[in-house]
Amino acid sequence: MTLGKNTNDIKVQGRTTMKKLTITALALASTMMTTPVLADGHGSKIVDEPLELTIHMHHKRYTSYDESWPVEQAAREMTNIHLINKTFGSNTPQSDEAINLLLASGQLPDVIGTSRIRDVVNQYGPQGAFTPLNDLIEEHAPHMKAYFDSHPDVKSAITSSDGNMYYIPYLPDGKYGRAYFIRYDWVEKLGLEIPNTVDELKTVLEAFRDGDPNGNGEKDEVPYFARQWEELIRLVTLWDGRSSGSDTYHDYYVTDGMLAHPYAGEGYREGIKNLAQWYAEGLIDAEIFTRGSSSREFLLSENMGGMTHDWFASTSGYNRLSADIDGFSFKAMAPPASISGKRIEEHRRIPFKPDGWAMGGTNKHPVETIKYFDFWFSPEGRDLVNFGVEGEQYELVDGEPQFTQAFLDGGPVNSQLYQIGAQLHARGYFQDYEYEKQWSNEFALEGIALYDEGDYLIDQFLGVSLNADEQKVYDKYNAQLRTYMLERQQAWILGTGEVEAEWAEYQEQLEKRGYSQVLEVMQAAYDRQYK
Amino acid sequence: MEKKFSWLLQHLRREWQIYVLLAPTIIWFILFLYKPMYGLQIAFKDYSIFRGIAGSPWVGLEHFETLFGSDTFLRALKNTVIISALSMCFGFPMPIILALMFNEILNQTYKKTAQTLVYLPHFISTVIIAGVVVTAFSPSAGIVNTIIGWFGVEPIYFLTKPEWFRPIFIGSGIWQEAGFSSIVFLAAIAGVNPSLYESAVVDGASRWQMMWKITLPSIMPTIIIMLIIRIGNILEIGFELVILLYQPATYQTADVINTFIYRQGLQGGQYDVAAAAGLFNAVVAFVLVMTANTISRRVSRTSLW
Amino acid sequence: MSGVTLEKIVKRYGAAQVVHGIDLQIEPQEFVVLVGPSGCGKSTTLRMIAGLEEISDGQLSIADRNVNNVAPKDRDVAMVFQNYALYPHLNVAENIAFGLRIRKVKKPEIAKSVSEVADILGLTEYLDRRPADLSGGQRQRVAMGRAIVRHPEVFLFDEPLSNLDAKLRTQMRAEIKRLHKRLGVTSIYVTHDQVEAMTLADRIVVMRDGRIEQIGKPMDLFNNPVNTFVAGFIGSPPMNQFEATVESSDAGPIAVLADLRVALPKLPQLQTQVGRKVTVGIRPEHALITPQDGANTIPVDLDLVETLGSEALLHTHVSGNPFVIKTETHGDVDHLYGVKDVYVSPERIKVFDGETGDVFVHPTQG
Repeated sequence: MTLGKNTNDIKVQGRTTMKKLTITALALASTMMTTPVLADGHGSKIVDEPLELTIHMHHKRYTSYDESWPVEQAAREMTNIHLINKTFGSNTPQSDEAINLLLASGQLPDVIGTSRIRDVVNQYGPQGAFTPLNDLIEEHAPHMKAYFDSHPDVKSAITSSDGNMYYIPYLPDGKYGRAYFIRYDWVEKLGLEIPNTVDELKTVLEAFRDGDPNGNGEKDEVPYFARQWEELIRLVTLWDGRSSGSDTYHDYYVTDGMLAHPYAGEGYREGIKNLAQWYAEGLIDAEIFTRGSSSREFLLSENMGGMTHDWFASTSGYNRLSADIDGFSFKAMAPPASISGKRIEEHRRIPFKPDGWAMGGTNKHPVETIKYFDFWFSPEGRDLVNFGVEGEQYELVDGEPQFTQAFLDGGPVNSQLYQIGAQLHARGYFQDYEYEKQWSNEFALEGIALYDEGDYLIDQFLGVSLNADEQKVYDKYNAQLRTYMLERQQAWILGTGEVEAEWAEYQEQLEKRGYSQVLEVMQAAYDRQYK
Repeated sequence: MEKKFSWLLQHLRREWQIYVLLAPTIIWFILFLYKPMYGLQIAFKDYSIFRGIAGSPWVGLEHFETLFGSDTFLRALKNTVIISALSMCFGFPMPIILALMFNEILNQTYKKTAQTLVYLPHFISTVIIAGVVVTAFSPSAGIVNTIIGWFGVEPIYFLTKPEWFRPIFIGSGIWQEAGFSSIVFLAAIAGVNPSLYESAVVDGASRWQMMWKITLPSIMPTIIIMLIIRIGNILEIGFELVILLYQPATYQTADVINTFIYRQGLQGGQYDVAAAAGLFNAVVAFVLVMTANTISRRVSRTSLW
Repeated sequence: MSGVTLEKIVKRYGAAQVVHGIDLQIEPQEFVVLVGPSGCGKSTTLRMIAGLEEISDGQLSIADRNVNNVAPKDRDVAMVFQNYALYPHLNVAENIAFGLRIRKVKKPEIAKSVSEVADILGLTEYLDRRPADLSGGQRQRVAMGRAIVRHPEVFLFDEPLSNLDAKLRTQMRAEIKRLHKRLGVTSIYVTHDQVEAMTLADRIVVMRDGRIEQIGKPMDLFNNPVNTFVAGFIGSPPMNQFEATVESSDAGPIAVLADLRVALPKLPQLQTQVGRKVTVGIRPEHALITPQDGANTIPVDLDLVETLGSEALLHTHVSGNPFVIKTETHGDVDHLYGVKDVYVSPERIKVFDGETGDVFVHPTQG
């Protein structure tokens, strides 16, 4: 489970491998002009006669599979596999509701793709609802096999408690998610430097509070704000605490192969103590718990917000405000060093998502289906799923896909891609970060370069697949354990409780509410999956 | 037997129109109330959607033991009862008072305008209501803090204070629903025989006396029926609004059974536990309604059945 | 006891006028009945007296005091409503006591008054019951008890018996009459039932379309209606009326209808009206089936005999006009089927103007 820092290398390797493959294919093609492309005689075609497979595909952005998507049409052409829409619950945007309807109907289609499919397959795969994929991949899916061979941790992570893989995940590419953003212009105006340590950060935030950097004569600056209040808790990393082990809030984390919950650690205690003080001193948005998702938009456009921790791409986009606010410059800064001198960025993109697709347990064509799944991991399949149809959305420039200018100008890239059936997260595929880079804001790319340089990311907890008995223990304790943790956490920040005084009792209560029991079953599952 | 059957046949032939009229209700009851009762058994099973209700193994009272073994559930139960009781104390009389007040407005235009204004919040979605509440109680820009600021009170971050959650929740509930709920009482008032008032006028009663001695007693049966129905819903708190308004910091006063189910059950896909909690809710509601109805029938001769 | 005076009382709802300037003098202790068909303004007039409707124009005095702008409670009137207006949540005693409690009369006094009233109305054993547990007649008695208990100057009755069945109505009528005799309170009583009016009233006020048609003692109205409306309204069955033309003859004026010739009262005023269209009115009681000296003989076609017991109604036709005869049966109706002619004394015949409907010659003038 040392995914963290070398994902990038692997990704690069992966890409290189594919490029090689493409070149090989091209070479083969050019040398065997008279015969169809590949050595086995029928190119990427999986079957000679068109084969129809049924599919349930549900995601809140696309609640059914559209057979007229250009990407589907192109895939039909390439593979001879036709996906036929048999989606349940297309009238609801709730994918979990839709998949439950499907399962309850008892008629599973050949392919099931949905968001959060991981929990579903882990629960119902061992009961026979889904076809195990390990052997099929081994024998019939060279591209996927290559991926899993080079990413054993992802393979472990998606392996169910019975040792089988039941779904092919959507594999996001790129590793950076959130970063610290600060008003560079304010820092400069106040005659300060971009903070390098937690103490310097405090000085800067105090200056934001007192120095009237927006110059309106009012003390209305909000030094640190966040769209999600959990991003306040994220700051405990500055005191060597942890707030989550994965891209999901409040998640467990791993150190040296041992699981723990971030909210039970000493660094967390220290961090909360200090954050409570920051909150009391007005360095944190007083309304951080209720301001909600529009707070970034509001505080930045009102020229009131000083610093946040948020996504690279969307946050960089606010630099367009420089048109209205003189000197506005809201850019990523390196994570300040913690009290022990460590600079870490806790948040990162997870290498695989719980979204993806799986094979129904009653599928009559498992071999063709796994080959079809594998198609999307092949170079042509990857280009198709990442960039759309060649000649329409992209063109090959120096052998690399490049979005056409007309396409880039046609509106938000992601939603355009969803509309043609590309970049669907309810499909198992390997994303190519190049696709996002081509339309990323310059400030985002600059920030990413900064983070790349500093190498601030840390290892991630990829989750465990609990067996039925373990799941029972987890279900029994975890929700109320979390409820208790969050309650105390907020009370401490808001000053209605005191972390120092309550810490011993807090630990006792965690014990009483089953912390050890949960850790025990998760550790067992972790050891089974990753060791 | 023969005779009875032919009597039934004759009866049906003669009265079939009435049975056709009755059919939709009966079908609705069977489809949407009786058939789903079959699913209640998952409260006693280790339920798997894929295996289905019949295929899931029985686990007895395990889910109930889980519930009652949980401090959080017991706290949620306590909060549910407290919030319900308080909103009944404050929320139940409000529509009646409103209806009585509307009834005293003589100017029709003014009356209609006032009614529309108080009905309006009912038609606003809960999400927006929550947004309004959050904004109104915001420490920096909220109207409440602005007003108490005029009296020199420091801004209060109401929505993170456990002691403020219940007043805010109940108050916003009243604001949203009191007006609309007053319709049923207005209808009851409209049904009061106008000569009762005329007779009282001739007898020399003031408007205040007429309200207390005629209007209120006349709509008392409606009030009692509404109260019994309300008691039946005592454990049903509009949990959407709770979810939108509560914070971990206010769980201690805000967490109710339904939000507990939501976090514990639905977010984790534990339908069986959720069903157990729901069944518990229903049983308590049933007992409460039966009790209230019996007491009411004995004491005031008004009852639902 | 006090009288009630209405001077040019007018009621308007917006532009629509429903009562057109009524003048009426009601003497102390008098029992006056306002009678007329629905919509004639009788109830509106009563409600104006009670103070439940504002008076648009004119003057209303009770006991020589102008009460136009006096609140209902200060007019010292009590009203009995058609639907009783009993409070369903109060028992009989509380219902009767309601007006007193509103006026903050002391408890022992209330109890005394209530028991007195209950005694008068025979309600003593029902005092603890709710209205829902009483019969219609009992409810009506409670409603009257509520009025009586306050010892008002004037009783107002708004069709108090119309929700009762025929038998109860007769019984209650007698009771009201008896009560009035006993208490001697000025009473104004509204009804659409002329029988009630005839039996109860000291004086009857016949109203139509917001105007008074005639005021008088019951028998005056019966014997000398001022117009065809009153003639048709008072008396049961109503007076037979048919159109005819006046002609003169040796024996005096006659009415001619087709080939029928009917001798009219020998009044000088009629002699001058030869050729004039008139309405001839004959009360069913005045058409006799046995020949009389000097009476007109009118041939009739018998349609139906309606037996009432000691009396019977003969439904017949005279020259195409319906004609009802009321006669004694003397215990046998068979002989009535043989009736071919009826006999009407000319003096009993009323003659009304064919156009206005007013009585041609007022008997007092003639």
